[in-house]
Amino acid sequence: MKALAALIHRELLEHKGAFLYAPAVLLGLFTLTLASAFAFNKVKVPIEVGMPTAVKFYEMAFLGMAGLWFVYLMIALFFYFADAFNADRRNNAMLFWKSMPVSDFGILSSKMLSGMTLFPAIIFFMLLVTGLVLYGMTGVATVALPRLVVPTVPEILSSSVQVVSVALVYFAVAMLWYAPFFAWVGMLSTLVGRWSIPLAFLIPGLAVLGENLFVRGLPEIIGGFLFGGGPQGGYIADYLGRRFHFGPEQNLMRDAFLSDTPVNAMVLIENLFSGLDWVQLAGGLIVAALMVFAASEYRRRVVAT
Amino acid sequence: MVNENATLAVPVVSARGLRKRFGRTEVLRGLDFDIPPGRIYGLIGHNGAGKTTTLNAILGLSSYEGTVRVLGEDPFQKRAKLMENVAFISDVASLPRFLRVRELFALLTNIHPSFSQEKARSFLEGTDVKMEQRIKNLSKGMIAQLHLAVVMAIDARLLVLDEPTLGLDITYRKRFYRRLLEDYMTEERTLLITTHQVDEIEFMLSDIMFIRDGALVLHMQMETVSSKFTQLVIADPANVASARALKPIFAETRFGQTVMIFDGVDRDALAAFGAVSTPTLSDLFVALMQRDPGVGAV
Repeated sequence: MKALAALIHRELLEHKGAFLYAPAVLLGLFTLTLASAFAFNKVKVPIEVGMPTAVKFYEMAFLGMAGLWFVYLMIALFFYFADAFNADRRNNAMLFWKSMPVSDFGILSSKMLSGMTLFPAIIFFMLLVTGLVLYGMTGVATVALPRLVVPTVPEILSSSVQVVSVALVYFAVAMLWYAPFFAWVGMLSTLVGRWSIPLAFLIPGLAVLGENLFVRGLPEIIGGFLFGGGPQGGYIADYLGRRFHFGPEQNLMRDAFLSDTPVNAMVLIENLFSGLDWVQLAGGLIVAALMVFAASEYRRRVVAT
Repeated sequence: MVNENATLAVPVVSARGLRKRFGRTEVLRGLDFDIPPGRIYGLIGHNGAGKTTTLNAILGLSSYEGTVRVLGEDPFQKRAKLMENVAFISDVASLPRFLRVRELFALLTNIHPSFSQEKARSFLEGTDVKMEQRIKNLSKGMIAQLHLAVVMAIDARLLVLDEPTLGLDITYRKRFYRRLLEDYMTEERTLLITTHQVDEIEFMLSDIMFIRDGALVLHMQMETVSSKFTQLVIADPANVASARALKPIFAETRFGQTVMIFDGVDRDALAAFGAVSTPTLSDLFVALMQRDPGVGAV
């Protein structure tokens, strides 16, 4: 465990630009932008939306920022996995790490675990800090926009707990849900380095194309028909579409944003859990583990330098 | 091939029928050797002779045919476990460049159970390497010193060095080997080195292995080299024909003199034709590495 923790720490040291410095800079820019907007009286509320309560103003901003941080995390993780699984080779440090008493599976597992736990945790921490910034800005907003009623501390606390709970569960489950995709990118990276970036999409794209051309299209052209109609775009595209979908029903999220009532974390979490394909999630984790193992065997057997 | 390492000690490294193919090319052609503990071995050969491939097999970095045992384990199957007792430098530039020296030591303390941070820090005393420096900002010589400090701070039973001083100037190279000999070697430790700068490590070797075209052409203790091989420098051209009758394994002309190397010929018999001495390792290397023994003959 000590070695694994050290290897995860190594990942942070190697990728702190993407997961520490860049988010901190973004957070700083966000704070500055908001502060300057209030300072120069640039905050405008469209009449058709109406003036929310201060708590709602805080909730909407916090939820919106949670979504943005989530998008940032997913993009950063994609590029992390496209880089990290091949970084030792590219940095000419492969032989050094192979001189350590850690298996190739151990090394790649530490990279996978870093991407699934530590980095999301850092971005989640950034979200918490964002909440604090937004809380401060809400206070400023009540001064700048006199129609807003100053929220009480229990109101803000309750609201924060609800939003943070939703974000925490969504971040955690999303990591599990998308683990096979990230493992796929990592495995490709072990094989072909940064070519994994286009290939992660190109290979599934070719599979979809191949299915439509040769399994679905060609038999129709020559008069035969093997598999019937099937879903629009083919079975592979249909599966990938469902596998990439993650989140609550859109109406529910819109209501959480626009209704006058406070965000209810339990409703959103229950909706996420009830809509989640748990068999797919468990199967995906097994597939992710197998892909990391396959990548580690390739690294052990083929990548000597 | 000559193998005169008659020893009862359990070998640290043992290879039987070690073969390696890259496609249709056979790079290693059935090597058989044992490396006993407490020895300093030099594995010497031309570029492409199979040195690094042999080391990669010993270190579990690549697959192979035949049997290899390092400290009793199959290195390809048990590399991670083996690395608790084996250290190696395969390339001086292989330290992770994004780390600071302090961070590297902290990581190694947690990753390697046999690494001593105190020892590593003490080995760096007197060098220009500072704990807060990033490795990418160190010079090539400083990186070599740091890497040596790292491996010397690992309490390993086998240390493998593959061209560890490549690209370093003569000062660093001499300091590197002196440090290794003075601060690291003990009777329990075994050292295996490959290098092209044969003369620089000759003084420290206890055994040599010459490898040519994937096969061992010589495997011998250094003491035996001096008793078995003789160099003869002939100043008088009249003696050349007589000396050649004793079948030198190598002959060439240097500055008007004829130099011959003999294998297993009585020194007293040779002394009659000129000055006799023990050939340097580089002279012996040149003599034995020729694919056609007649090429070098004058």
